[in-house]
Parts: sequence; C-alpha cells; structure tokens
Amino acid sequence: MFALKVARRYLTSNPAQTVLLVTGVALGVTVFIFITALIEGLAIRLTDQVTANSAHVTLEPPTRLAEILTGDEAVRTEGVALVSTFQRRQIRAWRSTAELITRQPGVSALSPQISGNAFLVKGEAVQPVSVTGLEPEGLDAITPITPNLVSGQGALGADGLLIGTQLAEDLGLTAGQPVLLRTDRGGERLLTVRGVFKTGLQSLDSRVAFLSLQTARPLFDLPEGVTNIEIKLDDPGRAREVADFLAGATGLRATPWQEKNLNLEDALEAQGRTGTLIQLFSLISIVIGVASALVLSAYRRRSEVGIMRAFGISGGFIVAVFMLQGLLIGLAGGLLGCVSGYGLCTFLASLTDAEGNAPLPIAPERGGYVAVLILTTLGAVLASAFPARSASRIDPLEAIQQ
Amino acid sequence: MSRVLQARGVVMTFRNGDEETEVLRGIDVALETGELVALVGASGSGKSTLLSILGLLLRPTAGEIEIAGQRVEGMSERARAAFRNQRLGFVFQFHHLLPDFSAMENVAFPAAAPAGGISPEMRRRALSLLDRVGLADRADFPATRLSGGQKQRVAIARALMNKPDLVIADEPTGNLDLRSAGQVLDLMEEVNREDGGTFLICTHDEHVAARCSRRIQLVDGRVQAQDEGSDHRD
Ligand SMILES: Nc1ncnc2c1ncn2[C@@H]1O[C@H](COP(=O)(O)OP(=O)(O)OP(=O)(O)O)[C@@H](O)[C@H]1O
Ligand SMILES: [Mg+2]
Repeated sequence: MFALKVARRYLTSNPAQTVLLVTGVALGVTVFIFITALIEGLAIRLTDQVTANSAHVTLEPPTRLAEILTGDEAVRTEGVALVSTFQRRQIRAWRSTAELITRQPGVSALSPQISGNAFLVKGEAVQPVSVTGLEPEGLDAITPITPNLVSGQGALGADGLLIGTQLAEDLGLTAGQPVLLRTDRGGERLLTVRGVFKTGLQSLDSRVAFLSLQTARPLFDLPEGVTNIEIKLDDPGRAREVADFLAGATGLRATPWQEKNLNLEDALEAQGRTGTLIQLFSLISIVIGVASALVLSAYRRRSEVGIMRAFGISGGFIVAVFMLQGLLIGLAGGLLGCVSGYGLCTFLASLTDAEGNAPLPIAPERGGYVAVLILTTLGAVLASAFPARSASRIDPLEAIQQ
Repeated sequence: MSRVLQARGVVMTFRNGDEETEVLRGIDVALETGELVALVGASGSGKSTLLSILGLLLRPTAGEIEIAGQRVEGMSERARAAFRNQRLGFVFQFHHLLPDFSAMENVAFPAAAPAGGISPEMRRRALSLLDRVGLADRADFPATRLSGGQKQRVAIARALMNKPDLVIADEPTGNLDLRSAGQVLDLMEEVNREDGGTFLICTHDEHVAARCSRRIQLVDGRVQAQDEGSDHRD
C-alpha cells in the first residue's frame, strides 16, 4: 500500500520528532498500565485478605418468614412459619450435608460449626464474644489460626479456648489462664485459654473465641445439630455459583462471601472508578498529543500536499497517509508503553520492605495490556482524523503560489 | 491534428468583499495536439490565472472549456482531480518535489498513489523518463540532493509520467540560471518533437517564447493576437 509507504517515510524523515511523539504515547500507556495493575492488585490483595481468613460460602438454616406472602403460597408459607417458630434454627442432618458438599468439585475445605453469642467473664471484666465451636482437627480449615498463634498452642481439648490478641488484652488474659464463658442460651463453663492468635483482622482478633464442637454443644443447647457450615473453595470467584447450587441442592440458605462483605465491594467499586478516571485522562492526553503533532505536521507539509492535490491525487489518499501515521504512532507507542509498563510494574512488585512485604500491591499481569493497546491505537487513529481531513482539503493553488 | 484544448469566453472575476477584479474578460484559446505554445503578457495580466483555470485548479466565473474532447465545467471536484491525474501534467516555477522521496519515486508518484504502489512497469517508465531528462544516474538520489536545474527536470519527468494530453507549465525556467533554463527548454522541445506532447508554457523569458511554435499574448484580460512564433524571432 503506497499510502502506508508515504506515511512511514513521513515519520522516518523527522526521527527526533517521531521518537518524542512515540515516547509521549508510551508514557501515557505506561501510566494507564501502572494504574490498572495497581487497582487490580489492590483489589486482589483486599479480596485475598478477606477470602483467606473467612468462609467463601456459608450454609445456614433457612430464615423464618423469609418470603413475602403472596396469593396461593400464603397458606403454605404460613404453615412453615408456624412450625419453625417452635423449632430451633439448626442443621440437623449436617453429616449428610457435609458429605454432599465434600463431593462437589472446587470445594477445598468445610467446617461444621456452632456459632453463638456469649460473654467472657474474668473477675470484674466482661467482654461480649462471638463463639465458634468447631471440630478441633478442622481448626484451620476456614481461618488459619494455628499459624497465627502468638502464644500457647492450638490444641483445643475438652475445655480449651482460643482468643485473639485484642480480646486477651481487654480481659487481661494470657495463655494457660482460666476464664468463664456464659452463653446467650444460659450455659456457663469455666474454660482455659490455650492460645492467643493474631490474624491482623480487627473483627477476629477482638471479638471471636474458638472452642471445640463438643464443648459448644451443651453450652448452646444443641445436642445433635450445627448452626452453620462454612465452606472454602479453590476459587473464591466461583462462590456465587457454588452458593446457588448448594442452596438448591440442600434447601439451606447459602451466602457467598461477597454478600457478607458488601463494604468491600463498595470500596473496590469506588477504587475502580478512580482508576477509570485516571485511565481516561491518560488516553485523552495521548489523543491530544498525537492530534497536535499531526496538525503541526500537516501544516508543515501544506505545500507538498497541495502539489499532490494538483496532480490529482485523491483526498482519500491524503487522509490515508495521515491516519496511517496516527495508526503507526499509536501502535508503536502502545507496544513500547506495554513493555515499559510491564517492566515498571514488575519492578515495583518485586520491591519489598523490611518485613518482606510488597509495599505496592501491584499485579503486573493485570495491566490491561490488550485493552490499552487497542484503545491507544484507536485513539491515535481518531486523533489523526482531524489533521487528515484538513490536509485533504488543502487548495492546490495556495500551495503552488506561496 | 486534433484539438487538445478549446476554451471559449473564459471570464474570471475575483471578489474581495465589495471590490471586484475582472482579471480575464472573455478568453478564447485553442490548442492542437503537438503544439508548443507560449503564453506571454505583462505581470498581472492574468497568465497564471488562465493556466490555473485551464489546468482545472480554479473554476472560472464563466466560459466553456473542453480538454481532450471532454467538457470539464460540470465535473465534481473528485472528477476534476482524477482528470488532472490522467490527462494533465504540471510544471511550476518551483519544482515542488516531495523532499522525502527519491527522484524515481517523485516521478512515479502521480501513477503510484492512485494505483496503490509502484509497479515494475511504473518503475521502468519513471526510469526511462529520468533517462530522457538526463538523470538516469540520479534515480535513487533523494530529491533534496539534486541541483535546482536537476530538480526542475525531475519535475518535468513527473509531469509526463501519466502520458498527459496537455502539459501546463507556469514559468518553468523562472527560477533557473541560463544554462539550466536552456536544458529544461531543450527537453520540452524534444518531448514535443519526438512524442508529440502538447505544451502550454507561460513565460516572461523572450528566449523561451521565441522557441515556441506559437505565442498567445494576454493584454488587459484579453487575448491580443495569435501569431506564428516565427514572426517574432529576432
Ligand atoms: N485569488 C485572487 N484574488 C484576487 N485577485 C487575484 C487572485 N489571484 C490573482 N489575482 C489578481 O489577478 C491578476 C492576475 O494575476 P496572475 O497571477 O494571473 O498574473 P500573472 O500574469 O501570472 O502575473 P506574473 O507574470 O507576475 O506571474 C493580478 O492582478 C492578481 O492580483
Ligand atoms: Mg504568474
């Protein structure tokens, strides 16, 4: 294609200017990639923090009167409501349910639990706690507790209790000391603090106490059932579909982790919007840069273009020459920017502080490379449309007479 | 001999606000194939304006123009551009070569751009034209590295690339020294004699006008006399 040859020749005829222009575009692309990788990395880090320490899907007994009563269903639903009023909310058949869940592909761990509210009493000090009774061998299935112990050990035993550092501090407790647990079901028992953990999550460290399922049964007056089953998946991203499936298969209420962390979703969305704004501005600056450079180039080449018009070379050819220049600049700048953006992100991701943590949660592989390459190229072509059009309309006479 | 150009009653009036300048006041011109015609007249008499109109670069206020048997007044801009490309060749006072291309590429350009590339056949023609203007050894030189006279000869080769019916030249030697001007004129004469190319050359140079077969003199926006060139040789 001859127009392409002319476009290339025009770009190479002033190498310094072209290099500057391509570098400018590449810089904009680098900013775009950096922001994208940072926002994505931040989302991954926040999500990981949540999904690493909490269940991906929680199964609970269906809520009472969860449905709005409509027409024909009214009678039936009311019947259910009447029955359940007298029933304890629990999962009785938890063993068979657990078996069913274990067979599902993608499920990596599960933990049947008795959860309830209680007070820890130590002398004059009283603290409300959220008690989780679980199978001792599954202590770390949902929340890694053992690796996060700061004192004591993770063996729960018959009267053992594990609490977070914050709670331990509030009550003045240390590993090995006794403490009284009083549940909202009226159960009361003297337990021993076996270990103190620190997960870094405020809600866990200040409000949760772990004990064994067997210890929890009499305290919460649940001789057979459990109150909830917590599930961990290989891929937390599939939580919603797994929850939907399990809700259908078990008749229980299944809640994916996202719904228990609506704040997180809001925060991620707000972050995403900020990122989009910066991405948009970097694209706009690319478009303006390319447009102004080509407007200047079209102006400098007025007489050349005019003479081409005098020989009867079509306006379409002139348009093609300038738009192809835009395309080449966009492609070159985009590719260069992708390389430098990836380099920058990889470098920043490899940095570590004194504790060996990455200060910037960058995900270099999530830089939006294909998107930015396409957008930059399109943007550069778009930017060249105006100068191309004005060049194609140059009056040959003006060019000849000057 | 067939008629290449026939213009009748060409009027050109420029308007600048309320001010009107009537530059051409009814011009009749006819050119036969193979003629080498000089267009002469005082500065400001309208020579360049007439050439622009005959070269389809400017639309006249009135008048009929027929080139190579085709009426051109009603043509769209696109059709006029295509017509210029296929039927007309231009040489201007300044060479207007494309600085980023070689001599050969400059010559081939008017054919290559519409076709989408320089075909081997175009290349051969461009090289033979360069040979004809005496620049075979400069084919791959960038246009910027040629002398003024060489550039103008390349411009003539470019004007001939698409085998035009008519070559319009506006002071083609105006910017050259005597020797280069002589070479350029020799060349046009040669092409005219050997290939039967038709030339309309506007000039201030009496030497140039004298070597043309005929001259058209513009005075006060009208054609004064159409004499045999030989009558004016001194
Ligand atoms: N676009 C225009 N608008 C107004 N007047 C114009 C325009 N173009 C040319 N003229 C006028 O038309 C007249 C003829 O100009 P033209 O360039 O045709 O003269 P010329 O014979 O070629 O002169 P020279 O020998 O100096 O080149 C001049 O008076 C010029 O000022
Ligand atoms: Mg003139």
